[in-house]
Amino acid sequence: MRQVITVSESLHIQAGKLVLMARLKAEERLRGGLAFLLMDVSLRLFAVVPLLFLWRGIFASGSASDLGLTLEQLLSYTLLSAILREQLLVQTPASEWLYQGLFLSLYQRPMGVFTQIVALTVGGWMPNLLLCSLPMALVGPLFGIRTLPVNSLFALSLLLSITVGFAIDLMFACLLIRMQRMSWIVTSIRRAVMTFFSGSLIPFAAFPWGIGDWMQYSPFGALAGAPLAIAVGSSQSKVLILSQLLWCIVLWPSLFHVFKHTRNQMMSYGG
Amino acid sequence: MSIRFFLSLYAQYARMDLVWLLRDTRYCLIVMFSDLLTSLTAIAGVFLLAVRFENFSGMTSNEVLFMLSFLLVANGLREMFFMGSNVSHFSRRIGRGQLEHMFIQPLSFPSQLLTEGFLPFTGSSNLICGIILMRYSLSLLDIPTSTAFWLSLGIYLLLSNATILGVAYLFSTAAFYAPVACEEITSSVFDISTSLMSFPLSGMPIVIQASLLSILPTGLLGWFPCLALLGRPPLGLPGWYHLLFCAFLWLTATSLLRKGLRHYISIGINRYSQLGHRS
Repeated sequence: MRQVITVSESLHIQAGKLVLMARLKAEERLRGGLAFLLMDVSLRLFAVVPLLFLWRGIFASGSASDLGLTLEQLLSYTLLSAILREQLLVQTPASEWLYQGLFLSLYQRPMGVFTQIVALTVGGWMPNLLLCSLPMALVGPLFGIRTLPVNSLFALSLLLSITVGFAIDLMFACLLIRMQRMSWIVTSIRRAVMTFFSGSLIPFAAFPWGIGDWMQYSPFGALAGAPLAIAVGSSQSKVLILSQLLWCIVLWPSLFHVFKHTRNQMMSYGG
Repeated sequence: MSIRFFLSLYAQYARMDLVWLLRDTRYCLIVMFSDLLTSLTAIAGVFLLAVRFENFSGMTSNEVLFMLSFLLVANGLREMFFMGSNVSHFSRRIGRGQLEHMFIQPLSFPSQLLTEGFLPFTGSSNLICGIILMRYSLSLLDIPTSTAFWLSLGIYLLLSNATILGVAYLFSTAAFYAPVACEEITSSVFDISTSLMSFPLSGMPIVIQASLLSILPTGLLGWFPCLALLGRPPLGLPGWYHLLFCAFLWLTATSLLRKGLRHYISIGINRYSQLGHRS
């Protein structure tokens, strides 16, 4: 007898599959034991402290009067950047799987390739969100650093940032398919470009000669610079969100188009 | 192992690197360009901050430029001597279960690690760029460049590399016990070191300065050596502190590596499927 499944049941099943995949990825990251993951987390925690003191030093010297950001905003920007590092600079396992020959396994499951990648990436974020981001967000205010965004538009901006981040990362994966065995190169170029041009390490406002004014509207600026500026109270929040929305509209259809014409060149070597 | 034997090994790896470059020049030029881009973007942010803010964290913009050029040269040397075969990213080799490749070589572990990462042609882009930048920054600083200065510079470049590699190898030992979770731990070490090493630390509280000269020694990669070369070593520490620290770091790392290797020999790490794909 044929079983009839309603739309809501179907959606429920699909959502269940996504949650299961995310959980699998989260558990995979914890497989080596909590202690080894904490080693990575402690390195991240330790790295943010000097940056906070660096900004304090610059303000204490009195040379940051024309920065356009107060010390409180700058500290909040830096800490939020560290807290949301994985979400602001999205890195899916797609490129790594192409190199390791695991990408093809995504075609063996009855789900969309991009859907699986998104679910697995979000699942991979969970251990660090709980072990690193949450404690940092709670401890920050104890040291006088605001970790709650001042503008409610931040949530929308973060969502757009993550969406643009996935599109850019998957574009790099398509580039990797085209360039075949240049995994290391594509990875290092992406890391270099995204760290500098996204504004995740140094706020655009701190750059000289008005460079940052231009960089904040680039697709990379939409990743970290825009949501962090909105979180600390930028006056241009609506323009920044419009810019992010524009990049979403441009990048996602482009990604589908590029992937459609690239996937048949995919090769699996084994890592 | 004699010096002559080492030189013959270096010549062998140099020949292999040249053959690679000539066989696929386009690929190698892209590799060199990407290495250069990675290093330049890593230092560009700090240089722009130094231009923007006068007396940036206790250093002038010219001094910051000298420090950045020092880091570029140090990175260039590391890439030239230790980038090949994941010698600097040793946790990858451990975590992937690839140490067996070393067991079958008729050479000791240290001999292999000291020689097989040598890439004099494809790994030279940062070194060349760094030397040019250092020459320029020294002309701006107008400091006496005697033989003693160049000798000190050479020693500090060696110590800077010994420090970052020591930390990388120290953390790599975790991959013996958690191969999947810690395969990329050296990448985390290099990422964090790269993001912190280019910041001048002079304006920071003493506790932070001391921590970055000991617990997470990113200050020893560029900031400490440059200020020592400029004649005002941080916290009044003597120049040999760097040497002492490296000795301690490598003693600890070697001891933990030996312990991890014993664990590896008894347990093994099997990450490859029959198809050759890694789990």
